[in-house]
Amino acid sequence: MRTFELESVEAIDQAVRHRSVHDGQAFIAGGTTLLDLVKLDVMQPEKVVDVTRLPLKRIELLDDGRLKVGALVSNTELARHDIVMRDYPVLSEALLSGASTGLRNMATTGGNVMQRTRCPYFRDPDMPCNKREPGSGCSAIDGINRNHAVLGTSDQCIATHPSDMCVGMVAAGATLVLEGPEGQREVAFEDYHLLPGNTPEREHDLKPGELITHVILDAPRGGGQHYLKLRDRASYEFALASCAAIVTLDGDSVSDVRLALGGVATRPWRATAAEEVLKGQPATQENFERAAEAAFTDAVAYSHNGYKITLGKQAIARALRDATAAARV
Amino acid sequence: MASVNRHSTGVGFCTPGAQAEIAERPRAASGKTSDTRRITLTVNGQQHALQVAPNAVLLDVLRDELNLFGTKKGCDHGQCGACTVHVNGRSVNSCLMLACMQEGAEIVTIEGLAESAGFEQGHHPVQEAFLEHDAYQCGYCTAGQMMTASAIISDDSIDGDEASLREAMSGNICRCGAYKNILEAVQQARGKMRGGQ
Amino acid sequence: MTTDTGKTREHNLSAEKPRIDGTLKLTGGADYAADRNLPNQTWGYPVTSTITSGKLVSLELDEALAMPGVLDIFHHDNFDRLSRSPNSFAEENLTSEPRLPFEDNEIHYQGQYIALVVADTLNHARAAARKVRANYERSDDFLTDIRTLDRGEGDLPGEEQSGDASSLGDADSALESASVRLDQRYTIAQENHSVMEMHASVAQWENDMLTIYESSQGVVFQRNALAKIFGIPPEKVTVISHFIGSGFGSKLFMWPHAIMTAVAARRLGRPVKTVLSRQQEYLATGYRPTSLQRVRLGADDSGRLLSIHHDGCNESSPAGKHDDTVSGATPKMYDCGNVAVTNRLVTVNKCPPCPMRAPGESSGNFALETALDELAVQLDMDPLELRKKNFADKDPASGLPWSSNHLRECWDNAASRFGWDKRNATPGAMKDGDEIIGYGMATQSWEAMRQHCSARFGFRADGSLLVACGTQDIGTGTYTIVAQTASKLTGIPIEMIDVRLGDSSLPSGPLSGGSFATSTVLPAVSAAFDEAVSQLKTLATAEGGAFENADTDAIEFQDGRLVHGGQSVDVTQLLKDNQLGLVDAVGSAQPGDEQSQYSFRSFGAVFVEIRWDPGISRLRVARVVSTIDIGRAINPMTARNQVEGGIVMGMGMGLFEQAEFDHSGYPYNNNLADYILPVNADMPEVDVELLDYPDYHHNAFGARGVGEIGLTGVAAAISNAVYNATGKRIRDMPISIEKMLAS
Repeated sequence: MRTFELESVEAIDQAVRHRSVHDGQAFIAGGTTLLDLVKLDVMQPEKVVDVTRLPLKRIELLDDGRLKVGALVSNTELARHDIVMRDYPVLSEALLSGASTGLRNMATTGGNVMQRTRCPYFRDPDMPCNKREPGSGCSAIDGINRNHAVLGTSDQCIATHPSDMCVGMVAAGATLVLEGPEGQREVAFEDYHLLPGNTPEREHDLKPGELITHVILDAPRGGGQHYLKLRDRASYEFALASCAAIVTLDGDSVSDVRLALGGVATRPWRATAAEEVLKGQPATQENFERAAEAAFTDAVAYSHNGYKITLGKQAIARALRDATAAARV
Repeated sequence: MASVNRHSTGVGFCTPGAQAEIAERPRAASGKTSDTRRITLTVNGQQHALQVAPNAVLLDVLRDELNLFGTKKGCDHGQCGACTVHVNGRSVNSCLMLACMQEGAEIVTIEGLAESAGFEQGHHPVQEAFLEHDAYQCGYCTAGQMMTASAIISDDSIDGDEASLREAMSGNICRCGAYKNILEAVQQARGKMRGGQ
Repeated sequence: MTTDTGKTREHNLSAEKPRIDGTLKLTGGADYAADRNLPNQTWGYPVTSTITSGKLVSLELDEALAMPGVLDIFHHDNFDRLSRSPNSFAEENLTSEPRLPFEDNEIHYQGQYIALVVADTLNHARAAARKVRANYERSDDFLTDIRTLDRGEGDLPGEEQSGDASSLGDADSALESASVRLDQRYTIAQENHSVMEMHASVAQWENDMLTIYESSQGVVFQRNALAKIFGIPPEKVTVISHFIGSGFGSKLFMWPHAIMTAVAARRLGRPVKTVLSRQQEYLATGYRPTSLQRVRLGADDSGRLLSIHHDGCNESSPAGKHDDTVSGATPKMYDCGNVAVTNRLVTVNKCPPCPMRAPGESSGNFALETALDELAVQLDMDPLELRKKNFADKDPASGLPWSSNHLRECWDNAASRFGWDKRNATPGAMKDGDEIIGYGMATQSWEAMRQHCSARFGFRADGSLLVACGTQDIGTGTYTIVAQTASKLTGIPIEMIDVRLGDSSLPSGPLSGGSFATSTVLPAVSAAFDEAVSQLKTLATAEGGAFENADTDAIEFQDGRLVHGGQSVDVTQLLKDNQLGLVDAVGSAQPGDEQSQYSFRSFGAVFVEIRWDPGISRLRVARVVSTIDIGRAINPMTARNQVEGGIVMGMGMGLFEQAEFDHSGYPYNNNLADYILPVNADMPEVDVELLDYPDYHHNAFGARGVGEIGLTGVAAAISNAVYNATGKRIRDMPISIEKMLAS
């Protein structure tokens, strides 16, 4: 494991004076991604900045009904928070479906947003990978790609975004608060993660020196909510396909719906086409399946991951069914 | 006195002559040592002053600096749970933590589990239950299993039904497959600690 | 040596006891190999090949040598010249990979060691290992998956192994004339042992004596192998393995990391500790080889088996041959007079395969027991009835009577507890909400073996006992059953018994594998007890002794006392009177004539309920019921645990486990996140019952062993249940989601 400098900061302005990962420095909070990847020599920071002492551990209900979550709130705390369980059950379920008890206790809200892909070729510094080493090639496209994405891919990268939490946040709607040398700015959560395109090394809209300080969840949408995660084993595995669904009913019709997908796409994936199919339509199994079809119209399968198109559709149809049932309660 | 071979760590076999020879051996080229820093860790209620590198991982420090070998390395990447310890009462994977970031934290390992929970004589109810239910085979993942178990038992947000407990224990892989007995042990210990809830 | 299978020496021992090593394991006090740090110790970290096949042209080491804390780097050009690696089971020095580390510049597989960096700390060694640059001459001529060679019909690929072929009657003609015939192919993907404790060696030389702490299932084998390799007498090598974080076969026979570590320790004059990383572990310490199988069955309309052909093929390695003999047990399974089995090997560019829990048989069992289910469908017959109809009341292969066989009771007992009579044979007929339910079953089996063994038994003046044997406890409970045995023999409470295992300097004991440790070790403990009692009697009858000049045959040992006529003397008093701290002796035992009189085999039956949710393609095992006849379980609590664990591993084989290599030979999932093992949430309701029919033909304790059998049959029962639920017949393990969707 390579050596690095370690510095602890006590205040946000002190933190953002540091430059970020782009020039050999990295922030550490829970450490579940960073230390994993430093041990693999995939991330090679010269300096690591410990931000765990920053005052970003609160969950605060804003006057406009939104919920402001500090970046250092752990995945466990966020999932088990009364307001989150009551108003954002899809997020709570998504969080609790991820990783394990111990890792959720460590992982933070901001860290989870910055989680890196689990593509085995990305995780091995001896293998070509455009995300890790631009221009070196993508080993997954011609290699084994069972765990890879079918949505949002490019000929440069087909790595799946691994987070469950982010999928829940895309469905719930959220805004990221970033603090940087130039001051504070906000980014819509679903715009934050970038498609790989020709620059798979650019994974998100975080500028050098910027730090995620908060995630502000939209005011509760009500409705029935459900997060469904499909995988080989029953727990402690990344999603092969997952769906976060929020369904609002007007009688038997879907008045509003929010759908987000995990495990099948290169970023936390808002399935807007599927939402459009369903809005204003009766909440029937047939319509759920039509919506699911629409979500994968543009899907591209590679040699080993074609099953994810079917699985992803199934995740949507079932999540819609169960969210609708919850909406009727 | 039921016992099996037990050794005290640090019993060496090196002859003094051999050590002298090594001391004079030139260090490899450049030979620069990495910077270290002085930290104080509170482990099992005791404070330890240590000199460690910034990249020292808590798991390695517990084992190699503090001789607390009960905490195991099974993957070094948060994929198995064998290294689970308590930090400030929560179960965490010590293989993905920097030792330097744990100053001021209360760390508990399997060696201090019973005492930290007020069972100064004998075993923690989780340990008793694991013994009675034969909730292990090789014993390698067992400390991690028990550290997770003892944490979730006292966690009000984790329900006591079978599915919830199994899910909460799923970050601790047991290749021997003693899951059935592990669940029974967790249930028994939970019943004992929570007074029949 | 004692051959103690006579009925006169039967021991009636079976009791549920918590493990005597439990407290150590539950408090962190049990010392596994990597829990050893010696004074002045250094750390080794291997550098491994990143190509699959070719030659290592050169290593660039300057940068690595300049890294902090680095002491030396060992590789082909500077490694010690060692004696050829031995490779004999009979001589008890078998190694897993006979190719010595860095022996030449050939690269046979990814993950092969090309150098060992030694530094003052683990972090330094690991960081420096990353800085070693290797230049290769890459070969594109390699193979990592034998499934790509199978043409799907006719003979399997590979080189037939003449020693594996056996036949009874005329299987070809019988198949030709059978009214019902089946010809199917089956595969099982490569499985990794995935032991929780990575392989580790801590080596130290004192003058010319080597001590090595190793996670080993065979300290004696490793001791003998190291002695040969270093050209020193076995007495100068000590291998210590007090606790093992499971092995499942991957730690039976030494791997090259131990040799590298021992050489480095000798060269540096300091102890060296090498713990493999999880990623290295997956590439360099064996696996259950991928197998291809072809089964042809012929039966009459009533379901009587007329012919069985079972052809197998498994992977082997250029770095070490391994034959898994997957079809080996088939001739012994059912009453059929016309059987032909073969096995073939194909060399692949991976490290050598090695035994993995129920090696060979569990793979062969999957194919045969799935084929039987298919035959039952063809016959429109209950698969359990089909098996019962073909019960073998003696061993069809040898013609010998079974020493003890209660398979019929296993079938009935498990079927009844499972509720097999509620099964609807029509695929998809049983439903519950979103889920379709499937029932499946299979016969379980494992050969009962026994080896020679020695043990030491000692009486101490403080009333405690010392029992020692150069075997090891890999988690099966050997410490505890040895203590139970000593307690039973002496009447001395288990708390007063000090058991020593896992040290090659102790009297020679067996490997912990093959389910033969119990049947092998306990008779030796009993023999050693007899020898030790003889010593006590000699003391008692000596001049001035309690029974001076008495006939030793007239003296009995009872509950810690020697009794002669109406008089008795406490053993501790006897020792004190003679000013002795310990009276001990070595005894030995081995199998005898019974081996040519009986066939020894354990059987069982496993029934599985699966739940298939077609709406979300979710397959889960919901319930497993197994009844097993292993003779006598010395400790039913630890024995049942073995079977339950075997069921979990069988679920892994059936549902999840497959090591994958891409077209470049790259190992895609050599870690615990991507190689999928069952977790606690996957656990079904499991109900295991052990029948209790002591097999005193096998040994005086009636125990046939229990480590492997629980795993057998599980994958077939799952696959058969999937067919019952869905009508999909999946013949390639594991039954992954994509296979369910594709079929």
